[in-house]
Amino acid sequence: MRKVGFMGQTLVYGILNGTVYAMIALGIALVFGIMKYLNLAYGSLIIIGAYGSLFLFRMGVDPFASIPVILVTLFLGGAILYKLFFSRLIELPEGEKIKNSLLIGFGLMNVFDNLAFIIWTGNERSLTPTYSGVTFEILDLRIPLIGLIGGLIAFFLITILHLLLSKTYFGTSVMAVSQDHEAAGLMGVNVNRTYLISFAISVGLASIPSVLIGLQSFSATSGMQWFNKGIVVVMLSGMGNIYAVFPAGLFLGIIEALSVFFFGATYREVTGLVVIMLVLILFPRGLMGKRIES
Amino acid sequence: MKDLRQLSIAVCVIGLLVFIPFVIRSEYLINLLIMFFLYSTIAQSWNLLGGFTGQVSLGHSAFFGMGDLMTRLLWTWKLPILLASFAGGVSSMLLAAIVGMPCLRMKRGYFPIGTLALAVIAQITIGNILPLPTYLPREYMEGYTHSSRYYLALSIAIVTLWVVWRTVNSRTGLAFLAIRNDEAAAEAMGIKTFKFKVKALLISAFLTGLGGSIFAYHQVSYYHEASFNLSWSFLPTLATFIGGLGTIIGPILGSVCFLTLNELFAITLGQIHLVIFGFSFVLIVLFLPGGLMSLFKQIKLPLSTRSLRGP
Repeated sequence: MRKVGFMGQTLVYGILNGTVYAMIALGIALVFGIMKYLNLAYGSLIIIGAYGSLFLFRMGVDPFASIPVILVTLFLGGAILYKLFFSRLIELPEGEKIKNSLLIGFGLMNVFDNLAFIIWTGNERSLTPTYSGVTFEILDLRIPLIGLIGGLIAFFLITILHLLLSKTYFGTSVMAVSQDHEAAGLMGVNVNRTYLISFAISVGLASIPSVLIGLQSFSATSGMQWFNKGIVVVMLSGMGNIYAVFPAGLFLGIIEALSVFFFGATYREVTGLVVIMLVLILFPRGLMGKRIES
Repeated sequence: MKDLRQLSIAVCVIGLLVFIPFVIRSEYLINLLIMFFLYSTIAQSWNLLGGFTGQVSLGHSAFFGMGDLMTRLLWTWKLPILLASFAGGVSSMLLAAIVGMPCLRMKRGYFPIGTLALAVIAQITIGNILPLPTYLPREYMEGYTHSSRYYLALSIAIVTLWVVWRTVNSRTGLAFLAIRNDEAAAEAMGIKTFKFKVKALLISAFLTGLGGSIFAYHQVSYYHEASFNLSWSFLPTLATFIGGLGTIIGPILGSVCFLTLNELFAITLGQIHLVIFGFSFVLIVLFLPGGLMSLFKQIKLPLSTRSLRGP
C-alpha cells in the first residue's frame, strides 16, 4: 500500500512538471506551427526571464506578480529579435527555414548563455518566496502550492491562446498564414505583421515557464536543458499542433517521473530524448501529428 | 597542367608542415598548429555532411566524443596509437550507423533536431557513466613529446582532406550535391538519396572520430564529458560557415580564422569572445551564407580556382 502511495506521489510531481514542460513547448510550437521556425534560443530566453524575475524578487516583487512585467519585456525583446534576425528567413522553403532558424538560434543561444554567464556568473539561483515549501494534502497525496498555481496558470493560458487563435481577426490571419503565407499575403493579410506578433507572443510566453523554473532552480547555462524538454513535447505533439501540446507535456512529465521511479534521477534528462528518438523512428510525424503530408 | 600545379603546391605545403617541428621549438606554436589540424579535421568532415550533402548535423559532438573515448581507452590499454585512432573512427561510424541513421529517416528538416538530441543524450549519459577525469599513466607522461602529437594530427588532417576531396570529386560527390540542391529532384533522377545520405553521414562520422583521436592523444587529463560537450558541434559548424559552406578550402580557412580570433580574444576579452563568436555566426548565416570563400570568389582571388572551390 505504501508503495502505491509513493507511486501516486511520483505521478503527481510528474504531472506538475509536465505542465511546466507544456508551457515551454507552447511557445516553441506556436512559432513552429505558424512559420516553421525552430527557435533554439528559447531555453536561453526563459533563463533570461528567470533572472529578470529574480531581480524583481530581490526588489520585493512577488514572483507571480512579476509575470506581466517580464511578459511585456520579453514580448518586446522577441519583436526586436524577429526584426533583426528571423524576419530575413521568410522567403526560404520549409526545410531551409527550419535549418537556418535553427542555426541562428544556435548562435543566439551561445550569445545569451555567455552574456548571462558574464552578468550573473554560473551559480545556481532560485526564487524563494515564503510560500515556496507549502504543500497540502488530498487523499494522502502531497501537492505543492507552487505546482498547483503553475497548473492553473497553464490552463488559463491555453484558454486565452485558444480564444485568441479562434475568435479574433489576428487568429484567423495566423491560421491563413500558417497554411500558405503567399496566398494569405495575396488575400490582404499582413503576413509580416502576423509573423512579427506571433513571434513576439511566443517569446513573451516564455515569461511563465521562466518564473516557474525560477521557483525551482536555474543557472546561466541551463537554457539548453529546458529547450530540450520543450522540443521533446513539441515533437510528441506533432510539430506545431498547439492543442496537442498540453497532453504531450503531461505525457512527458509522467514518463520522466516513472523513469525516476524505476531507474533513478540521473537519467531524468535522457528519458525524454530517448522517447523522442524512438517516436521519430517509429512515427516520423509525431504521436499526435496530423496524417496529412504538406 | 592545373592538376600538376595544385599537386606541387600541396606537396610543398605538406613538406613545409612536416619540417616545422624541426625548425620551431616553441611549444605554444606547435600546440596551436595541433589545434588547427584538429579543428580543420572536424570542420572538414562536418562540411562533407553539412556543406556538400546539405544535412546540417548538430550531433557531431557525439561522434567526436565517441572517437575520443574509444581511442583513449584502447591507447591506455597499450594499443599502438594509430590502431587506437582507427578504432576510434570506426566506433564513431558505428554510433552513426546505429543512432544517426534513424535521424536521416526523419521528415525533411528534422535531421538537425534528431542529431541534437543524440548529442545531448550522449553528453548526459557519459557524464553519468564516467564522472571521473582521465589521466595519462606515468610511463605515457614520460614519453610525451609534442612532435609525435603534431605528426598524428597532421597526418589525420591530411587524410581527412584527401578523403573529402576524393569523395567530392567523384560520382558519389555529385550525388551528394544533387541531394543538397534538390532532394526530390535527385530522387526523381534515380539517385538513391537515403543511401547516399547514409554514406555521407558514415564518412563524416568516421573522420570526426579520427579528429577525436587527436584530442585523446594530445590532452593529458580531462573529464570524459569534455569531449562530448556541445561546443564540439558548434565549433565545426562555425568554422565551416566562416570559411565557406560546401567548399574544400572553406573549413581550413575558417579554422585558421577561428583559431586566430580565439587566440587574440580569449585572453584579452575572456568570456565575451564567445558572445562575439555567437553573434558573428548569426551574422554570417544571415548575410554571408557563402562564408569568406564567397568574398574571394567576388574579388577573384587565385584561391577560388574551380576545382578547389568545388561545386
